[in-house]
Amino acid sequence: MVATGPVPFGLTRTGAWILVALLAIVACGAERVDASSVPPLPETSPQDLADRIATSGTPVVVNVWASWCIPCRSEAPLLAAAAEQFAGEVGFIGLNVRDSQQGARSFIAEFFPDAPIVHVFDAGGDVPLALGASRAVPITIFVSASGVPHRIRTGVLDERTLALEIDELLVGG
Amino acid sequence: MEFSLLGAAALAVAGVYSALRWEAARGNAGDCTADLWDIAVAALTVGLVIGRLTAMIAAGVNPLSSPGDIAIVRSGVDTAFASLAALGTIGWLGRREVVAIMDGLAVAALAGLAGWHAGCLVRGACLGTITDLPWAMTQPGSSTGRHPVELYAAVAYVAAVAALATLRRYRPPPPGLAAGLALLVAGAVRLATEPLRLSLAGGPVLWYLAAIVVGGTGAVVAIRRPR
Repeated sequence: MVATGPVPFGLTRTGAWILVALLAIVACGAERVDASSVPPLPETSPQDLADRIATSGTPVVVNVWASWCIPCRSEAPLLAAAAEQFAGEVGFIGLNVRDSQQGARSFIAEFFPDAPIVHVFDAGGDVPLALGASRAVPITIFVSASGVPHRIRTGVLDERTLALEIDELLVGG
Repeated sequence: MEFSLLGAAALAVAGVYSALRWEAARGNAGDCTADLWDIAVAALTVGLVIGRLTAMIAAGVNPLSSPGDIAIVRSGVDTAFASLAALGTIGWLGRREVVAIMDGLAVAALAGLAGWHAGCLVRGACLGTITDLPWAMTQPGSSTGRHPVELYAAVAYVAAVAALATLRRYRPPPPGLAAGLALLVAGAVRLATEPLRLSLAGGPVLWYLAAIVVGGTGAVVAIRRPR
């Protein structure tokens, strides 16, 4: 037997279903992590970043991000998953630009809490230029093991593209 | 701004629209009174939104605290939940003649998939695992030959569209057979090409198998049911 009476609070049946769906989404959403657990990011420079890449001994993926950048939030889970999957084979560096330390740390606490990614801080936002990139955000720079930028992708990465570029780095050694 | 994904989506929609027009001109959907184009658009829209929301939640992003992320479709759409939502929308909108509507949309759905996969040429995302076959394609600036795996899928879907449209034109199948075959083909093509794709987490293989089983079962039931 199907109930046909009115739904409480003046909601239509469709409205009630939409409300239930919204509540489910809220319940499934991520909780914010306390940013105090994330140490301040070290300042970087073109030379410092070049040294980090040179000493890694592996291909490196440099992701340029900022906490105010909505597309960066969107691609962050993908980068975190890739960093965990290719740990030891490919190095991941998060280059935070034109941001505040507090914003960057909150972002890391929310999206990269355990990912093996080294994050550095570039308040002026000029470091990506030294790698041949622009000042846009997000940008992902794929650097070969020899330290040469192999490809620069501007905009949000999708899973297939990230997997392809990492495979290209690993094949190229 | 990056419009390549929009270009691929436009190819998919063009595939759906062309197939519906082609079938309507030949009377292939004569047993269906609903407006198939309206239902297809609604199913595509609902599927896209639900698939995107599901992908966000799976990645730990709350759609309510990050509503702008919903529009960034490039970050991922959950194929399985998008498909379920699209099928659910079709079922709900066409509940009075659901089998006829599913059959009417079967060829169009495969044509849309063909358009979407062929759209890799617009997106620059055709390439899969490494191969030295003569038709291997390379990325700009690379010498590593790779399977154009998305084009393989597009060709397979085009062949399925031709076969199914011919069947519906010259030997009208029993109700439900076209829909069952379309679901089976959709799952089988993705399953067959998945090993050639590059992926971080691996494709939703179980969902492809489920599509094959459900579609195959539906096709068998349609054939055996007395008309």
